[in-house]
Amino acid sequence: MPVWQRVYEEINDPNFVLICVAEDTGGEAVAGPIFDAAKPTYIQIVDVDHLISSVFNFVNVPSAAWIDEEGRIVRIDEGTYSKVHQFGEGDTAFLFGNDVYTPALKDWVAKGRESVHVQNRQSVTGNIRKHGVNEQKADAAFRLGNLFRAHGEGEKAEHYWELARTLHPESINYFRQNLTLTEEGSGGQSFMKKRMEYMEQGKEYYRPLDIAKT
Amino acid sequence: MAKAFGAFPELRHPFEPTPIHPAGHTTVLYQGRTIQLSATGPGDGLLIRPEDLASVNGFVLKPEGACFQDLCFPLKDNWLIERGGKTWFDLTTFANTVGQHFIADEASRVWSFAELPAKQDNMLVNGMAPDFEIVDRTGNVIRTADYRGKKALIVTWSSW
Repeated sequence: MPVWQRVYEEINDPNFVLICVAEDTGGEAVAGPIFDAAKPTYIQIVDVDHLISSVFNFVNVPSAAWIDEEGRIVRIDEGTYSKVHQFGEGDTAFLFGNDVYTPALKDWVAKGRESVHVQNRQSVTGNIRKHGVNEQKADAAFRLGNLFRAHGEGEKAEHYWELARTLHPESINYFRQNLTLTEEGSGGQSFMKKRMEYMEQGKEYYRPLDIAKT
Repeated sequence: MAKAFGAFPELRHPFEPTPIHPAGHTTVLYQGRTIQLSATGPGDGLLIRPEDLASVNGFVLKPEGACFQDLCFPLKDNWLIERGGKTWFDLTTFANTVGQHFIADEASRVWSFAELPAKQDNMLVNGMAPDFEIVDRTGNVIRTADYRGKKALIVTWSSW
């Protein structure tokens, strides 16, 4: 989050809006301090129900959409890292993120539709995930689980969260969100196993960025 | 032992039991909103008062059908039904007709609706940003339409 604040300050354009959305059932208790530490001036949302991922058909974080002045999406659903990070240490460590996304974003803000990073409608709609019956029901089930949790009905919350994960196995969000609320956490063995399975099946944990390094 | 990364088991179920709604009421979840209905019709499915339709999903009953902005679905005979001497709008039959999916916990009188496919077409077909409405950390309501005339980057992240 501090990196996004730096990017936002570097862009410093009154016609550019940055909206950062924490997909966190843990709510303010977990996402709030991370936001606050960044001293953000951009728009901050704590999205307990993962509504934003649902409306854009995202399945993982971070994901993003670029929206132009007319409300047109001009890029969507990429592993949206503002820099390169390392996860873990030793043999299991891996690098993630990239150093091309931020320059591309700045180029778009400066040049608008003349930017080479703007995608046409066909590319954009091709990159939006198509969610069918099960995925849509999963979103409805997840919110139902959150409602029951908020009212102290843990058994029903678990039932509907599990239903969401079962209906939408592609959702890394629902899978890892569940792990955050366990002793194991979101970066333990279950996560590593799921990530490995995902990659062995030839699925993209994140879509490769279609941005050339300049 | 050090706490694992992204582990908040204490937040799994931190809330005390509280009623979801007053006895006899019904709750609808849609587009991140929680709508409480004080009166619903008897029997299977979710029968709501026609005048509550707009508060639930923004649709209004007009001579040409059930309409949301320019989107109108011609009225079907089984959407408005008589039961117990009153007229009800059958929201679940409407949803089934227009392809809107939902999950219901009828024992607790809660229905959770996914987005209407017709409302998603503008994004899926035309590549236009979907409409959403959500409250930010300062209490402001953030809507897609508020940012027309500006470029916006919407990025999701998580503490985990």
